[in-house]
Amino acid sequence: MEQRFSLHLTLNENKFIETAPLSELRLDGHCPFDYRKLTIKFGRKLNFFTLVHSTLFKSGHIFFRLLMLLNVLEGWCREDGSSEVQLGQTRVMAFVTSQLVQPYRDRPNEGTLSIYTEFSPMADPSYELGRPGEFATELGPIIDRGLRESRAVDTESLGVLSGKLVWAIRIDIHILDNGGNLVDAANIAALAALLTFRRPECTLGGEDGQQVDVHPPEVREPLPLTIHHLPIAVTFGFFSNENIMVIDPTHHEESVMTGRMTATLNANGDVCAVQKAGGEGIFQRVIMHCLQLAHVKAGDITSKIKNAVDSYNTERTLRKIKRHPLMPKIFPSLSLSLSRDQYAEGVNFDDLRAPLALRGISFSL
Amino acid sequence: MESKSSTSSTSLIDQSVVPGDMVLDLSSLSNQTIKLGGGLYQDCDAISVMKAGRLRFSKPNKYWVESSQKRYVPHVGDSVLGIVVDVRSDNFLVDIKGPSIAYLPVLAFEGGTRRNIPKFEVGTLLYVRVVKANPGINPELSCTDASGKAAEYGVLKDGYMFECTTGLSRTLLSSPTCPVLDALGKKLSFEIAIGLNGRVWVNATSPSMTIVVANAILNSESLSGVQQRIMVDKLLQTIQ
Amino acid sequence: MEFVSPEGLRLDGRRPMEMRQIRAEIGAVAKADGSATFEMGNTKVVAAVYGPREVQNKSQQNNDQALVRCEYSMATFSTGDSRRKPKGDRRSTEISLVIRQTMEACIMTHLMPRSQIDIYVQVLQADGGTRSACINAATLALADAGIPMRDLVTSCSAGYLNSTPLLDLNYVEDSAGGPDVTVGFLPKLDKVTLFQMDSKLPIDILDNVMQLAIEGCKAVANYMREILLENTKELEYRRGV
Repeated sequence: MEQRFSLHLTLNENKFIETAPLSELRLDGHCPFDYRKLTIKFGRKLNFFTLVHSTLFKSGHIFFRLLMLLNVLEGWCREDGSSEVQLGQTRVMAFVTSQLVQPYRDRPNEGTLSIYTEFSPMADPSYELGRPGEFATELGPIIDRGLRESRAVDTESLGVLSGKLVWAIRIDIHILDNGGNLVDAANIAALAALLTFRRPECTLGGEDGQQVDVHPPEVREPLPLTIHHLPIAVTFGFFSNENIMVIDPTHHEESVMTGRMTATLNANGDVCAVQKAGGEGIFQRVIMHCLQLAHVKAGDITSKIKNAVDSYNTERTLRKIKRHPLMPKIFPSLSLSLSRDQYAEGVNFDDLRAPLALRGISFSL
Repeated sequence: MESKSSTSSTSLIDQSVVPGDMVLDLSSLSNQTIKLGGGLYQDCDAISVMKAGRLRFSKPNKYWVESSQKRYVPHVGDSVLGIVVDVRSDNFLVDIKGPSIAYLPVLAFEGGTRRNIPKFEVGTLLYVRVVKANPGINPELSCTDASGKAAEYGVLKDGYMFECTTGLSRTLLSSPTCPVLDALGKKLSFEIAIGLNGRVWVNATSPSMTIVVANAILNSESLSGVQQRIMVDKLLQTIQ
Repeated sequence: MEFVSPEGLRLDGRRPMEMRQIRAEIGAVAKADGSATFEMGNTKVVAAVYGPREVQNKSQQNNDQALVRCEYSMATFSTGDSRRKPKGDRRSTEISLVIRQTMEACIMTHLMPRSQIDIYVQVLQADGGTRSACINAATLALADAGIPMRDLVTSCSAGYLNSTPLLDLNYVEDSAGGPDVTVGFLPKLDKVTLFQMDSKLPIDILDNVMQLAIEGCKAVANYMREILLENTKELEYRRGV
């Protein structure tokens, strides 16, 4: 992976980074086959200012900039379907939004899924303003291929009115800080955002059954997407010394290594995509070894994402109750400083997920 | 006089200051010369702060603001770590993390003549001294001390170089020896070169030791002296 | 849809492990320093190489190695639908990048510092496997231009449809949505430099499909060697050796 960094690396560093993995070592102290620390955050904890910043940096007419800002703000205000992933020093944010559009003619019942990436010079000085670098053009397709071609998201369930209206799901990936291995971080962010995303429920009405009613979230609880499996991208770095290989290369390692391979697998061991675009040649058995390793890592990361999503969902449900004005009367024992355990005793979570309208309780924000 | 100047500003000395704070009012000082260091500027009679940090005062008349940055502003006499980025016929172009590339004349070595110009590849790490630093022209470096001797300046081979804040590199160079280096030095043997521009080079007996030393130093920035010693002890236990 | 008949024949009458006919010609573009056309069945690609020459954009100059650039484009008449595709769309920039990095891995760039090598590939007819055909054409063009290379990098695709590994997919098989593997291979070093795959496939089956694609690459390599030898002989003959 030949990237022209503005970063000056010394010969000492080059040599050190290349020889350290020989003794099972890496600069930040972890093993060559370990991931850096991964944290996944959702919704409201986003840093609002970084967002505005990255949007305003975009080149283009001021009107479009404002428009973009508004779009982003809208995404920020809705807490569902957004995630922020931190992998070591790499920080990536993903937003999922939906829109009703006309379907493609050859697939009248299928919704669409598209992925957009946004690189701002804030994340790495080597990205130029307004012009995506070569690497930016590679990042999108890798994630796209992993998610779409393996049919991870059930697009058939996104049809509303055959041939007329389907949901178009759009994933926006913002790179906030490039500490190396953007692919894996962006992929995890996209998955986490998809898992927490909810689209408004809509029903067909009218005399001919052709009228589409979109129910606002206050009236009917929005629906999550159907996701069949989670394709996890695992990136390997190869060096000119054949015996060395690392997982999850850091920024420094990326500028020293001569080859990269990203394998996208799910926890069941199905390979969803592989991308090794040239660079250092490796033996076939090494590739197979990498895929086995990636399978293990995919399992670990899947459980990490699932745990994070579960705890977010619980929190989200709790928040819904707290906002409710009638709540103290229903559960007099619950004060504002509720702990999760108290809830677990008193509330049936399945009931809480039912649309509020069905529960017949008035609702105000 | 001395007492008067210190009374007029004691309120802020060793305190945190932010840009815009007025430190001294020259009209209240009668005929006294003061020396201003980094982070302070004079506007008519007022001496104001332009960098956030801690205001320091050194007798008899020096004032400066101590702060920690990632970027380095070259000052004459600083020892820094530079990376050769290009080789020209008269100069080596060296990156010292400053606003502009610095020049290292090919003759600025001990006993340097046209005949024995050292050969440096692009990417070579050098321990050098800043000899000229004026705004508007590129800083000039030298690989000799003031008396023309090589002293400890020159090429750094092997080891590992990492970047930190300028504040941390100042702490590491302070005397008495900073606790983290003291604690590490008692248990391990390693070579270290600290540049005031926020670059540190470490070379220990093995790569694992180098990594331990580098990480210990990077972690020490936000810790107190006692905490630093505890951290080093824990780190050393994990490798033994 | 049935891609392999009960008799074990594919839609175009090939056996599962059979390649389409390959044909190559060296020296298709007179002006270029090196050029070649490469055909795999109905897929036809032309590649031209310029260089090593002076770097045009000085800021991109590399002091220790040559700068390799690649541009991939598809002729408007190359596919059935003659929609005019904008130049430099996402897919073609991605393929350009892939071809560049693959070629860079086999060119001995350190022998030509401060210079630039341009590779232009254009798809004249597209019938599946354009990526592979482009890489093969580029290799021949580089060889024709006399640029030092470690090995001849060759490429071939393979897929998995109706539970059968298939070599060298054509357009219909490619667009069936099944797994599709493209491999770029260095035959003498026995190493894989390019490896792209999509759709879902268990690891052990992927191993077989990849093995098949590698065998395809080796076959292409043998053919390429013959073409290059023939070309050299012809040059000798012209010089009257």
